[in-house]
Amino acid sequence: MAAVLMLGNEALARGAWESGVRVAAAYPGTPSTEIVANLASYDGVYAEWSTNEKVAYEVAFGAAMGGARALTAMKSAGASVAADPLITSVYTGVNAGLVVCLAGDPGMASGMTEQDDRYFGRISSMPMLEPADSQECYEFVQLAYEISESYDVPVMVRMSIQTAHQKSVVKLNDDDDARAAAPERRPPDRKTEKYCMLPRFSRPMHRSLLERFERLRAYAEASPLARVEATGGDGRMPLRDGGSARIGVVAAGAAYMSAREAAPGAAFLKLGIVHPLPVETVRRFAASVDRLFVVEELEPYLEEQILAAGVACEGKRWFPAWGELTPVRVGQGFHAAGLDLPRWAEEKPAEDTGVIPRPPVLCTGCPHRGMATAMKRLDLDVHGDIGCYDLTSLPPVSHMHSAFEMGASIPMDQGFWRAGGSAKGSVAVIGDSTFLHSGLTGLLNAVHQRANVTVLIQNNSITAMTGGQTNPGNERTLAGAETRPVDLVAICRALGVEQIETVDPYDYEACLTALKAGLAFDGPAVIVTNRPCMLFPRKVPGDGHFEVDEDLCNACQQCMRLGCPSLSHAEATFKRRHKVEIAPDTCTGCSLCAQLCKAGAITKAGVA
Amino acid sequence: MSGRVDNVMVVGVGGQGVIVAAAVIADTALLHGGLDVKLSETRGMSQRGGSVCSHIRIGQQVIAPSISPGEVDYLLAFEAAEGLRFAVSVRRGGVAIVNTQQIVPPLASQGDFAYPFDAIERMDDGSRSVVAIDGNAVAEAVGDLKVAGVVLVGALSAYLDFATATWERALRRNVPAKWLDMNLAAFAAGRQATAARSAATTTGEASA
Repeated sequence: MAAVLMLGNEALARGAWESGVRVAAAYPGTPSTEIVANLASYDGVYAEWSTNEKVAYEVAFGAAMGGARALTAMKSAGASVAADPLITSVYTGVNAGLVVCLAGDPGMASGMTEQDDRYFGRISSMPMLEPADSQECYEFVQLAYEISESYDVPVMVRMSIQTAHQKSVVKLNDDDDARAAAPERRPPDRKTEKYCMLPRFSRPMHRSLLERFERLRAYAEASPLARVEATGGDGRMPLRDGGSARIGVVAAGAAYMSAREAAPGAAFLKLGIVHPLPVETVRRFAASVDRLFVVEELEPYLEEQILAAGVACEGKRWFPAWGELTPVRVGQGFHAAGLDLPRWAEEKPAEDTGVIPRPPVLCTGCPHRGMATAMKRLDLDVHGDIGCYDLTSLPPVSHMHSAFEMGASIPMDQGFWRAGGSAKGSVAVIGDSTFLHSGLTGLLNAVHQRANVTVLIQNNSITAMTGGQTNPGNERTLAGAETRPVDLVAICRALGVEQIETVDPYDYEACLTALKAGLAFDGPAVIVTNRPCMLFPRKVPGDGHFEVDEDLCNACQQCMRLGCPSLSHAEATFKRRHKVEIAPDTCTGCSLCAQLCKAGAITKAGVA
Repeated sequence: MSGRVDNVMVVGVGGQGVIVAAAVIADTALLHGGLDVKLSETRGMSQRGGSVCSHIRIGQQVIAPSISPGEVDYLLAFEAAEGLRFAVSVRRGGVAIVNTQQIVPPLASQGDFAYPFDAIERMDDGSRSVVAIDGNAVAEAVGDLKVAGVVLVGALSAYLDFATATWERALRRNVPAKWLDMNLAAFAAGRQATAARSAATTTGEASA
């Protein structure tokens, strides 16, 4: 048994590989990205970055129907995109096992919402396991394949970011042939009545789905996945009013870890399966304690089911329904509920909020900067999408007016225009990967509806925000195979767009001109930028740095509007405003600052 | 009960090498043997100049992967203002090792916020032991600014009870082979820089 440190996501990938997974498909999304990224490195696994989560789900499902154990992974928002096949697939069931990994983001480290993903289990009747650390990620995914094939159903492995993105010790099966015990590919299914969702076939499927769910309920009740842990004996704990009580806690996943850290003396019913909830096991546990607490992140998902079963419990009264449930937040909930826990009695700050904030910013040389500055200069309404360009909604650029979900920019801008638009005009801003994920249909709609929208495709030829994953605009796939990159201009033309312009985003005047031309055009217009991301797939080397002639700089601050991390205020001032200096070691030579400088103070170093 | 847990927090600015440093520290604890280790990965877009923070917890049994406020035993700050930001999370009597490097964020140029050029003095208010070192200068002396993070790991190593050889094994597993020698030199130089102070601190603690 080799003990290694692994991310929850890495451990999940390893466990899936040992289970014999052959096909893995996902669209990158924090905090789920590392699952399929890691699977790509294992022998015998085909892994792909699909164009979106729905496509990925369908690829994985098709593989399972075709007899290969398969996996798909997504973040919360991705589950919403994939919800249609996700729900349908529980009706049909599978052939070889299918595991759906869903990494949620309470606290919204990178998510747009902190939706409670467990309701996907409820709405679909898909069984849902929830690991609490990397070891469980490794083990639960293997169990998930067994359940999937035994019960003929896709199985969800659900995590919160704290589990997906923690590194903890995994005791690996270091048998050289750990994967050898995995089953062979099954014969492919060819079953009209199982996979054709016409009412004639799907009506009986719903009845068998409900019947299967009862069998899964029995499995959950008998399973070691729901286990009682009495680390502190019978869970008797002191109360602040002087007495004591037997305290029982029902929890799963990250919330379980936080609750155990917060109240180690309590008795725990640790749930490794959250759907179906083994409510009779909960009832028996409740009978052994004086007070039963349910500690769960976000909604009272478990609490409501436990109450509905007639078992008294306390939950959201003490523990917030928003944000991550860290040990301190759980501890303060217990304190408020009357438990005597000196460690949590006093509130302590995690960080000094008085120190200058340091949010992430667009990199030096980022190809998004030129257009962002031009749109601000023209005072346009900017309807963004999901990508690094959303950072322009924050200081120092602070010029973006919506950033909603994948593909929203173009339809929302169309609606905004249909409502009458704004005085200076509006632009839909979307990246290449997002455009290929779900922007195409919005643009097609705009063409069909003869909408007068201007669409800016901030094309940096990579999926940058999640760490540089490939997309159909690239020459290689995740598996390393050569492929034909799609031509964004040709796609837009094929969709029926007549006005399309390609622009160098390092040319500020060209950015302004293209935006004005797009706004003036009667009909949908598209602008495509053509500079690569500075970080991915590889760091772009600088093209000589620029420097400021301090004598010529009149401290007008025009260049500072760019929000470039390589520009900062110098000691020297002019009319009580700071002049500017450029960090020579980080400047990449994009020249935008020089183009904005009316005093001619910024020039390329070493050029007379 | 889970017994004693050492809480190490590594903070800095995206791109400074916080993630690699945290991995080296956690891996050293794992290689030491017999210990449980948890590391909670940095949140957010670490490569884009944002504030970065990693938690490492080491002990016989570690439950939660994140360190609770006010319970940091050792803060390793790669940048002065980031040191000040997270200093409030260090327990009374804990140690903060801070690089003297100052990275002024673009926001400071907007005039809404001032960069705290007195960050290290403000950290050193008696609540914790503050060790300031010029990690960048040490790294440059060793060969390259790139290894400044490992200089700081070396500085921390003098406070943690792991053999030098274990740290070196962890470095071998976490840095590219062609940079290994320079990293080992950086580690040694960093360890040297704090060895005397750590002896005084740990002796004090032992008697407490």
